[in-house]
Order: sequence, then structure tokens, then C-alpha cells
Amino acid sequence: MPPADPPLDARLASVWATGPGFYGWLTAVNHRAIGLRYIVTAFVFLLLGGLLALVMRLQLAGPELAVLTPGGYNQFFTMHGSTMMFLFAVPMLEGIGIYLTPLMIGTRDMAFPRLNAFGYWVYAIAGVTLYVAFLFGTAPDGGWFNYPPFSGPGYSPTAGIDFWVTMITFIEVAALVASVELIVTVFKQRAPGMSLNRLPLFVWAQLVMAFMIVFAMPPLMLVSVQLMLDRVIGTHFFNAAAGGDPLLWQHLFWIFGHPDVYIILLPALGIVSMIVPVAARRPMAGYTLVAVAIVALGFLSFGLWVHHMYATGLPVLGMNFFAAVGMMITIPSAVQIFAWLVTIWRGRIVMTAAFLHVVGFLVLLIMGGITGIMVSAPAFDWQVHDTYFVVAHFHYVIVGGALFPILAALYFWFPKMTGRMLGERLGRWSFWATFVGLHVLFFPMHILGFEGMPRRVYTYLAGLGWDGMNLTSTIGAFVMAAGILVFLVNVFVSLLFGARAGADPWGGNTLEWATSSPPPPYNFPTIPVVRGRDPLWDETDAERESWATSDPEHPRREVMVTTLLDAAPDHIDLLPGPTIWPLWAAVGAAIAFLGSMIHLLLVPLGALVATVAFVAWLWPPREEFPA
Amino acid sequence: MSRPPVRHLELPRMVQGHGETVWWGMVFLVTIETMVFASLILSYFYLKAGAPAWPPDGIAAPDLLLPTVNTFILLASVVPVAWADRGVRTGNTVAVRAGKMTGQALLVVFLVLKVVEYAGYDYDWATNAYGSIVWTTTGFHTAHVAVALIKSSVVLALSWKGYFNADRYLGVQANALYWYFVAGIWIPVYLTLYLSPWVL
Repeated sequence: MPPADPPLDARLASVWATGPGFYGWLTAVNHRAIGLRYIVTAFVFLLLGGLLALVMRLQLAGPELAVLTPGGYNQFFTMHGSTMMFLFAVPMLEGIGIYLTPLMIGTRDMAFPRLNAFGYWVYAIAGVTLYVAFLFGTAPDGGWFNYPPFSGPGYSPTAGIDFWVTMITFIEVAALVASVELIVTVFKQRAPGMSLNRLPLFVWAQLVMAFMIVFAMPPLMLVSVQLMLDRVIGTHFFNAAAGGDPLLWQHLFWIFGHPDVYIILLPALGIVSMIVPVAARRPMAGYTLVAVAIVALGFLSFGLWVHHMYATGLPVLGMNFFAAVGMMITIPSAVQIFAWLVTIWRGRIVMTAAFLHVVGFLVLLIMGGITGIMVSAPAFDWQVHDTYFVVAHFHYVIVGGALFPILAALYFWFPKMTGRMLGERLGRWSFWATFVGLHVLFFPMHILGFEGMPRRVYTYLAGLGWDGMNLTSTIGAFVMAAGILVFLVNVFVSLLFGARAGADPWGGNTLEWATSSPPPPYNFPTIPVVRGRDPLWDETDAERESWATSDPEHPRREVMVTTLLDAAPDHIDLLPGPTIWPLWAAVGAAIAFLGSMIHLLLVPLGALVATVAFVAWLWPPREEFPA
Repeated sequence: MSRPPVRHLELPRMVQGHGETVWWGMVFLVTIETMVFASLILSYFYLKAGAPAWPPDGIAAPDLLLPTVNTFILLASVVPVAWADRGVRTGNTVAVRAGKMTGQALLVVFLVLKVVEYAGYDYDWATNAYGSIVWTTTGFHTAHVAVALIKSSVVLALSWKGYFNADRYLGVQANALYWYFVAGIWIPVYLTLYLSPWVL
């Protein structure tokens, strides 16, 4: 980076600034502002989903307790699953991606800044609406998978499921716009010289995740709209009596649902591939193999959905195909695990809280992966289907495979986001409480599952020999929650008193460490030129060339657009600035979706509000018209 | 610290055409929409596979004359839009305005004939699953035609205000790409809903 040039920095800052005050906050479009909002909001939903789980564990601490009513328990586990999948995991990883991707590829903002803001508002409105419904006692209660006919108009006449189908459809809009945003930004706005084979592995993972969302979310969107139509205007997609088929729901839901597991897992693996080389002080081993494995996981994950449906009576030949793909997916997963192990083996490890979480992740992912291979065989799956064994399996995978890397990412990039280090000592305490608590919580569930304890049931009878293990599990849940609480305390303490982080507290290798912490609104005063996979290790700051995008006397909101494969400089693009219209577009769309529950006329009304907002948002500034 | 090299490179600004970020954004919007249509067609054949008779007893296989004529009207609307798409690159405002308006007129004819066709149905979405999937699929496509009308009206308004010229025409191109999609995706929908009951 060139040494600070205060006049230029001030000019750039004024061009890239967001307006002041609350109104300015509502109009912000900067990718780091939006990314941070995603991260904070998703973390709040993690806490809410975790609290729901704690209450459920209290209900299950002993046989036939009455902490929750049976109906209340249904609402709690539905909200827990929906929160963790739709409101926490995917938005959190997208938020981290939205924050970091432009920094890692050396650009100033994402390709469509206003679309980013729109996506966030959609997500926030949908999540808050679901929880407001929950507070009024009309939360969905059909499980996060929401199978008809139970969730259809005949068996669930209350409004709870309506909230689920409308808001989940709505939230998918947010995921889809974020994915288009990520793909186009990675395709066209990489720093000059950052050809695809020099892309940081986290960005590879984000790219593949975004492609998966583009192909996996539309079937879910359609199927939730079909259920909405069944409930609102009386169509018969899932009504067997009128020629419909409830299994159609399961197919379309899991065509989304299985890739969704990898949509969550891939960016988490990408996070690990960024932290491991920095902690080991050497370049990532097997870069190309890991990138290929990420792409392979993306493809294979679309051939797995039927393994959620082994118990539905499908043809055995078909199931064998899906079982084979299910076992095949261990190959690219193992490739990555070996690449990390080799990197760690050949490196000199600097043990930090971030790396500790990575180690925890490796242990948990392998344990969850092994039970995953077990349930991918139909014969085994039938024995444990719908039991706590499955609950244990997917919590090891999701908590171990996503939550731990997410926490690792927060330790690793907190200094970049806030300018302060996150406390290491509290970090280690938090790690051990979370890690030990997780095993105490979920390991007994394997055994409970073998013994036939069914999932999704609000209680169990005494005398089945399950009391002790359930109580252990509940204790584990509270230990784990204590770990998360320590993390939260750590965040607040560090925000106030944490050690100041310089631009590059870890001696990192990628471009986000080349700019100050937190970065200025324009990220980079000049656009760095990349000559290798580890730009900060390949060249010193004094050696690194960079390009000014515009006339330094009159900067504008400009980004450099480069070619898709080689990232050769192509042209300069002007980005739009802050505006209120994405918020109005999200409000209009919310009126249309939620209104369908109240009166169908609200649908065109909301669409009209959204259309007006979209036109106003895209309308060019006055100076672009001829005088 | 020695000052590292900063290059002031004159790169072209406001590049238009394929490969521009807005164009890529539209490509992925179209991909997402294609996936929704693919899921609808999958639903159609899934429901058909489970049904004893398709269309169910009491519902005749769809009439072909009106929908086929209407298909050609929709496909014909691509021609003036393509003319506008090409014309705008040389600053031919006549091509933009006349092309878009001719295309819009054809879309309006398509929508009117669609309403005529709907009026002739003796079943609706609540009759049975066949009615549900047919109405939802065509309804979803009809909504896309309406959106194409709205989007092109905005483009036309910008054109009347003199916004587009030989150096700035991305909006017209993105609009044309969406239009090609709306017309093109109708072909598999037509083959599925109208032709497949007769031949499969």
C-alpha cells in the first residue's frame, strides 16, 4: 500500500460516505455496513434459537415434565430449527461473505450495493415477523421441514404455518439476491492479477455456495408457494384426495434441503482453509485439490436429497443411487481434511482461540461425518430413522461444522471488523465450555437413538432407562450455553477494552490484511496488484504495485472491473450511492407476502409499492440525462 | 519507507454490453427464474405420474389452436425487441422506441388472448391437482409477461427523456435479455401443458 495521503483519503472518504443519523443508517449500502448487520442480526437469532433449545432441554430433563405444553413444544422445536437454518446459519455465513469477499479480492464494494441493502431488509423483516408471531402464540408448529398433509389446510388450520410459508419464501429472496451479488462481484471485481487460480479458498467456497443457492433455493421457493396456495386459495398440490401428492413436497423440499446443508458447510470449510495457513505460518497445502473438492461437494450435494426420504417407500434401485452418492461425498470432504492436516503438520502452529475452534471443528466434523456415512446406508437408516441418533448426527455436523468455524471466523476477523482484538483467555474458556458442553449434550443422543427414543416428541415415559442420559444431555446444553455467554461477554469487553489491532494482527496472507482495521469506507485507497496466491507473503508492502482508479483530484464511487478468468483490468464502473428505496422495496414485498394471509388484494398493493420503489431505486441521477 | 509504484491507468469508463456486471446480474436472475419454471414442470410430471388419468376424468385435453397462435405472437414479439437491442448500440432511438412499443403491443395481444383462453376453461385451480398445476404455471408465466411490460415501459420512459445513446444502452440490453427469457421459457411450458397431454 502507498503511504497515507491524507488529502486523497479525505476526498475518497467523502465520496464513499453514508449520510448521518438514523436516516443515514437506513440508507446505507456499503458492503461492510450490510455485512456487519447480517452478522449481528444472525447472532441475535442464534441466541434466540439457543434459548428455545434450552427450554426444550428443560422439558426433556426428566420424564413427563410439564415445562411446556405439547403444542408449545411443537412451536419451540419448529422455531428452533427454522431459526438455526434460515435465520442464523445461512445469513451469518452470507454476512461474513458480504463483509470479507470484497476485502479479500481487493475491491471497494460489491457489484450491486443497493441490492445488498434490499436483501438485508427482507431478511430482517422476515425474521422479526416470525418471532412476533411466536410471541403472540401463533408460531409455526410443523417442524422446520413442515411436511404436508400435516401442514396443509386440513390439519393445521391456524395461522402459524401461514407465517412459516410466507416468511420462508420471503427470506429465500434475501438469500438469492446475496448469492447473485457474490457471484458477479467475484467474477468481475477481483484485483488485477487475481486470476481464478489465485482466488482465496474462502472466496472459492463463497462462490460455490452462491451457485448452489441459485440452483437449490428456487425449488424451495416454489414448494413453499405451492403450500401457501393450498392454504390460501384452495389448490390441491399436496391433497391426495384431489390428485395431489404429499411426497411432492418432500422431493422439492429436500432438493433444496440437502444442498442447504452444504450451503452452510462450504463457507465454513472456506473459513477453516483461511485460518489454517495463517496459524501454521505456511501456504495452504493442496490448494488446487481443495478448490476442486469444494466444487465437487457443490455438485454431489445435489444428488443426495432422497436420503432424507428412505422411509417413504421409494424404489430400492433409486435409493441405492442416492446411497452411493452419499458415500462418495466423503471423498472430497476427506481431501480437504487431509489438506488441512498436512498444512498443520508441515507448519509451525501459533495456537490462538481462532485456531482452537478450528481444531474443535475437525474433531466434530469427523464424528458427525462418520455417523453421516452410517445413515447414508438405507438399511441402517431405517433402524434409526426419526430417532435421536439422527438428531445427534446432524447437530454434530451443523454445530461442529458450521458454528465452530463461524466462532473461529469471529475470533479471526473481529480485529479487522472493529479494530480491537478479541480476548484470548476468555476465548479459550469459551471454547472449552462450548466444546465439552456439546459432547455432553449430543453424545448421549446417539445411544438414546439406538434405544429407540423418537425425536420431535415433547416427553417420554419413566422406566425406559432414558432418564439419566436425558438429564446429562440437559446439563450439557447449559454448559454449552455458558460457553456462548462467555463469548458474548468477551465481545463486549473487547469492544471497550480490547487491545488495538493493527492492520495485520495475525501476519495474514490475503488482501483484507493490507488495509487498516476497520477499513475505510472505500476499503483500499488504490487497488492492489496481485502476483500470487498469498499476496501479503509474496511481496512486501513496499514492493506491491497498485492502481489508482480515478483522477485523484476528483474521485468518484468507482470500482475496477476485471476479466473473468485472468482478472486483467478491463474498465471502471460507477457504483450507485446510499438510498432509502431498497427499504421501501422490501416493505412493499413484505406487504405482498404477509398480506396474502389477510386479504388477497394486499398482494397487488404490496407489489405496486415494491414496483414504485424499484423504479425510483434504478432511476439514473439527474446529471446523466441530456440537459 | 520508499514509495511503492502507483499507476494511473486510463481505463475505459461506462463499458456497455455483455460481460458488464449488470448483464451478469440479469443472467443470474434469469437462471433463478428458469429453476422455478423447471420445478413447476417437474411438479407437473410428478403429479401426472401418480394420477390414474391425466388430465383427470371430466377435463378434456387442452385446446391447441388458440394457445398455439398465442405462442407465435409471443415469439414474434422478440423480433422488434431484438431490433431495438441492436439499434440502440448505434444510437438509433427510432429502433428503441418503435421496437419496444411494437413488442409491447404484441405482449398485450398475448395477455388478452390468455384471458380469452382462461375464460374457456371449465375447471379452476381448486378443482383438482391438475387444475392447480396448470393455473399456477400459466399464471406464473403471465405474471412474467406483465413484469416485462412494466420493465419495458420504464426503459421507454428513459428513452423519451433521452437517456440512451450509442455509449449508454445497458438498460435496453438487460431489458431485452429478460424479454428473450420470458418468450423462450414459454416454449417448454407450452410443450408441457398443451402438447404433452396429446402425445405422452
